[in-house]
Amino acid sequence: MRPWLWVPLCFIALLIPVVVLAGGGSGFNGVVNSIESRYHVRATQIPFMGLASLIANRATDGGVDDVHVAEFKHFSKPVDGEELNRIAEKKLGPGWERMIRETSRTGREHTLIFSRPEGKRMGLFVIDLDGHELDVVQVSVNPNRMNQTIAQYSHNQHHQEKSD
Amino acid sequence: MKNRMIVFVLGLAAAAAPLLAQTSPLQLPSPVEKELAARAANVTEVTLGKNMLAFAAKFMNDKNKNDEAARQLIEGLDGIYVRDYEFDKPGQYSMVDIDKLRRSFEGPEWTPIVRARDRKSGETTDVMMKMVNGQSRGMFVLSAEPKELSIVLILGPIRMNQLGQLKGLSGLSALGNATNTRQGNEKGKDKKGGVQ
Repeated sequence: MRPWLWVPLCFIALLIPVVVLAGGGSGFNGVVNSIESRYHVRATQIPFMGLASLIANRATDGGVDDVHVAEFKHFSKPVDGEELNRIAEKKLGPGWERMIRETSRTGREHTLIFSRPEGKRMGLFVIDLDGHELDVVQVSVNPNRMNQTIAQYSHNQHHQEKSD
Repeated sequence: MKNRMIVFVLGLAAAAAPLLAQTSPLQLPSPVEKELAARAANVTEVTLGKNMLAFAAKFMNDKNKNDEAARQLIEGLDGIYVRDYEFDKPGQYSMVDIDKLRRSFEGPEWTPIVRARDRKSGETTDVMMKMVNGQSRGMFVLSAEPKELSIVLILGPIRMNQLGQLKGLSGLSALGNATNTRQGNEKGKDKKGGVQ
């Protein structure tokens, strides 16, 4: 290798951890990393989340997929709703549209719901701060499948009520 | 050369203006919005752009009568925007704020169709329609209660008879009041022989 190539390589190698520590990345992990670095908190790791996502997919016949959850317990830092919204919008990137934003003046309750079309599915991204707990959830839903599942349960319930 | 640059910049600005306008379709004066948000105990914003509405319309159940009516209504809309401000006690917003909000819809295209006042409860409801070439292209509802202020803006072609279908959506309960008030007014109109 030519000696002058080491300079940019070393620079990039140094840059990567800096970017990661500064909350780099995008999407779900980008938002979670940014919240962690901005509020000096750490998300609780939920074990077997991949397995839970798979089970949710099977249980709903493909209605729910790609579940990501990050939970921040004992979240006591004051939160500026505008700033939280900016963090989410910046890290989620294009394609995501904010559908719902709910804020309380006390600053202890914030809800942000973003969505984006994903072909036949819909991606939903939720940030919810309630008291001292902040949850970040991303999920991909298939509205058709969900409709079918809901209709099936409604039908079963109706049938059961009739037989009673 | 300098003149050409100025023309180019102005042209670019003119081209960008509609795009910038699209990013903020809720034509509310932002200082009023900020003031209300600062005074309110809870603020809820619902923003459903054209893309999201078109996407949602695809998944409404055709077999369900209510869903079908809602689908027909929302698939042609350009957007639904809701602001709901809840206050701790009465008097945390003034009629001046309400007037400022109303004034932002006082263009030639906007026609007030309902203005209801209830002195006992202190509730007011304003409904304005955007009419373009004789067709409704938007609706603005301002519902003020002593401790709550709701604003709903719907852009796009609207069929009034189907509007009630939307009131089940989050934050759009004000539409129920608006359609009821409108129906009430129309009944009142009939009784009074068309005199309002």
